[in-house]
Amino acid sequence: MGTILSIEGLRKTYSHGFVPRRAEILKGISFAVSEGEIFGYLGPNGAGKTTTIKCVLGLIFPDAGRIELCGRPPLDPRSKEKVGFLPENPYFYDYLTAREFLDFYGQLFGLASETRRARIPALLKLVDMERAADLSLRKFSRGMLQRIGLAQALINEPSLVILDEPLGGLDPIGRKEIRDVILRLRAEGKTVVLSSHILQDIEMICDRVAILVGGKILSQGCLADLVSEKILFTEIVLSGVEARELAAHGEPLSAMSGRTLLKVYDESRIQAVLDLVRDRKGTLHSLLPRTQTLEDLFVGMVRPR
Amino acid sequence: MRLKTVRVIAANTFKEAVRDRILYLLLGFAAAAILLSRVLALLTVGDRVKIIKDVGLASISIFGALMAILIGTGLVYKEIEKRTIFTLISKPLRRHEFLLGKYLGLVLTLAVMLASMGIIFLGLILVQTGALEGRLLLAILFVFFELILVTAVAILFSCFSTPILSSLFSLGFYLIGHFSWSLDALIKKAHPGLGRTLLRVAAAVLPDLEHFNVRTEVVHNLPLPGSLLLYAAGYGVVYAAFVLTLAILIFRRRDFV
Amino acid sequence: MKKKLAAALLLILLAAGFSGLELKLRALPRKKVPGAGILYIPSGKYLKYATFGFSGLMADVVYLWAIQYYGNEEIADRYDSLLHIFGIIAELDPRYVDAYEVGALIATNDLGDTSLALKVLDIGFAKNPDQWIFPFEAGHYAAVAKDFETARAYYKKAMDIPGAPAIAQRLYADTSFKAMDLKTSWETWLEVYNTAQDDQIRKIASNHLYQVKAAADIAALRKAVAAFKDRAGRLPGDPGDLVRAGLLPVLPQDYDGGDYVYDPATGDFKTAVIPWKR
Repeated sequence: MGTILSIEGLRKTYSHGFVPRRAEILKGISFAVSEGEIFGYLGPNGAGKTTTIKCVLGLIFPDAGRIELCGRPPLDPRSKEKVGFLPENPYFYDYLTAREFLDFYGQLFGLASETRRARIPALLKLVDMERAADLSLRKFSRGMLQRIGLAQALINEPSLVILDEPLGGLDPIGRKEIRDVILRLRAEGKTVVLSSHILQDIEMICDRVAILVGGKILSQGCLADLVSEKILFTEIVLSGVEARELAAHGEPLSAMSGRTLLKVYDESRIQAVLDLVRDRKGTLHSLLPRTQTLEDLFVGMVRPR
Repeated sequence: MRLKTVRVIAANTFKEAVRDRILYLLLGFAAAAILLSRVLALLTVGDRVKIIKDVGLASISIFGALMAILIGTGLVYKEIEKRTIFTLISKPLRRHEFLLGKYLGLVLTLAVMLASMGIIFLGLILVQTGALEGRLLLAILFVFFELILVTAVAILFSCFSTPILSSLFSLGFYLIGHFSWSLDALIKKAHPGLGRTLLRVAAAVLPDLEHFNVRTEVVHNLPLPGSLLLYAAGYGVVYAAFVLTLAILIFRRRDFV
Repeated sequence: MKKKLAAALLLILLAAGFSGLELKLRALPRKKVPGAGILYIPSGKYLKYATFGFSGLMADVVYLWAIQYYGNEEIADRYDSLLHIFGIIAELDPRYVDAYEVGALIATNDLGDTSLALKVLDIGFAKNPDQWIFPFEAGHYAAVAKDFETARAYYKKAMDIPGAPAIAQRLYADTSFKAMDLKTSWETWLEVYNTAQDDQIRKIASNHLYQVKAAADIAALRKAVAAFKDRAGRLPGDPGDLVRAGLLPVLPQDYDGGDYVYDPATGDFKTAVIPWKR
């Protein structure tokens, strides 16, 4: 599988204000995205995710670094022929209807009118916007705009789809639908680059991630490699045993309607807890080992700053 | 440069402009002004048709310029402000193709608007005199070439300035262009020397929109030489090309934050 | 770098292009009737409302344009609307004194139409009754056109305005004389004489008094000579004849107490001295 997007040593500094104040946003970013994977680009707000994406697409001119998009530099229009992009908080021409909107972008790609006529209804169906096809975009809600934006990103059947915070502002059903679309894209052999700060979604679908904090990539690689399978602690919910007695084995947390949630860090202690429950004739309600989540990893990286 | 791409953007810009309510507001005012000339004609002593022609053509020129300025100054700025430009530039599209497409789309819109105002105007003339002069059409054609230039200027300012400021600057350009007679008067009065040379240079470089004003010839039935149309059209096109080149240069290296 | 150079070159080329075309266009002969649209405005009143309080500025603009307009010899019929245009300026800025003065100047100097000039100044005076300059200049123009009745009426108006220069009164007296209203002239000159602040004015006044008296006296003498000729069929041999014939109670003397010089050949009288060489 080849590299469809590669970034090396990307730097960008903004200077704004009448007396120019410089802010270094990107401090030397390097990563690569392979064909056919779903790549997650994570970071807290303001880390520089959107700036990176804009450099990739030729919206912003980097101060230093090399970008190759589908084997070409970003300013070459041919590099974008097989790329689809959905920006964050999308705004679109509010004087167009959804259908006209998709048709416009189709024309920009040089798609023949028959192709457009065939593809547009299919896309509208994919993002569940068929009923709003002839509604002018002025009347779309945020979620609707997000969906039609995704449709627009797919109009040219791209090999690489770049999505900047695609799941923001959607209800849980909407998020599931978009996640399904993304998984489907991968199944079709497309590459998806997804930038987000909602970790649960990333965890669910991404193959590889890069974590961007303060303009630097702190960590990148396969999700499976980054997030260890090690069990962090075990959560036991039980009743019938006094909290003081449990304290020796772990961390008793809430005590609601007689139930105690006990966090046991030491695996060897679990058996002791079970014995205690049996001896005191208590009840074991649940036993759940917790492994490291992406959130744990992420927070661990961001916090120290 | 791919013409097809420019055409797509132009068509879309036309759609956008034609759906802008302000266009119809201005068209309404223009129609009112043209018809008002009929009323003015009643109050004047002398040749009534003269005043209708003069005021009618002047209205077409002024309202055409207002349309060009009010819509043109928003064209690029709105795309940047509303961030619709993000999805656009991420397509296989060169930035100058985008600008030219916007420009041509607006020029097309203005052509349609000029035709509409022209129809109302010529209709009134027809009713008043029972005859149509070809020269009136020629006068409107001159206005079109003037608008080509004004539109380019509006788009230039739209690339880096808010609509309000851009409108003021563009209006300034329009007014300077029509006050060239005062510069001429200054040159005549100036003593020969550096000051006068500088004024002469300024006169050559500053826009002179009066070349597009053939109302005097049309209204007073004076000869309208073909060379005037040729040079005026050329002037409009070359100056507009200059302004657009400037716009493209400014727009090319702009970061869309 | 190369791209920037190419771009700069293109810009210079285009600029040279349109500058060249501009010069070519200027060279083309075109009849200029700049801003003639202003002639269509029926009244300055409406223009005033349209200027949103900048009527003074608008007055300046129109005035400046008018100067160029009237200086443009190619427009043959430009004077037809002089009153109209200056009327508009008056409506926009009634206190714009220069405008009226220049308008009147244009009317007399360029056009030779005194009555038009007087109309312009009348408008000025109507809007600015405290400005003596308007009737003063009007009097001057009328006097130059030898319409002394009108002139003296204007000078009377002028001299009655507080702040008017003393000469207004003297001009009133003078034009009254020229309009053959000797009584008013005499009275006014007397007043000037009595209120004169310096010797020079007094001298002038007395010269004029001499002149007025001489005119009145000589008129009376001429009348008597005519009556004598009627009766006697010949001219009198010397002025004493008129008294002896009972046509005059006594021979009038000039202001200085001297006699008038009689010419028996023509039967005419004249003063012994020239009034202002006394």
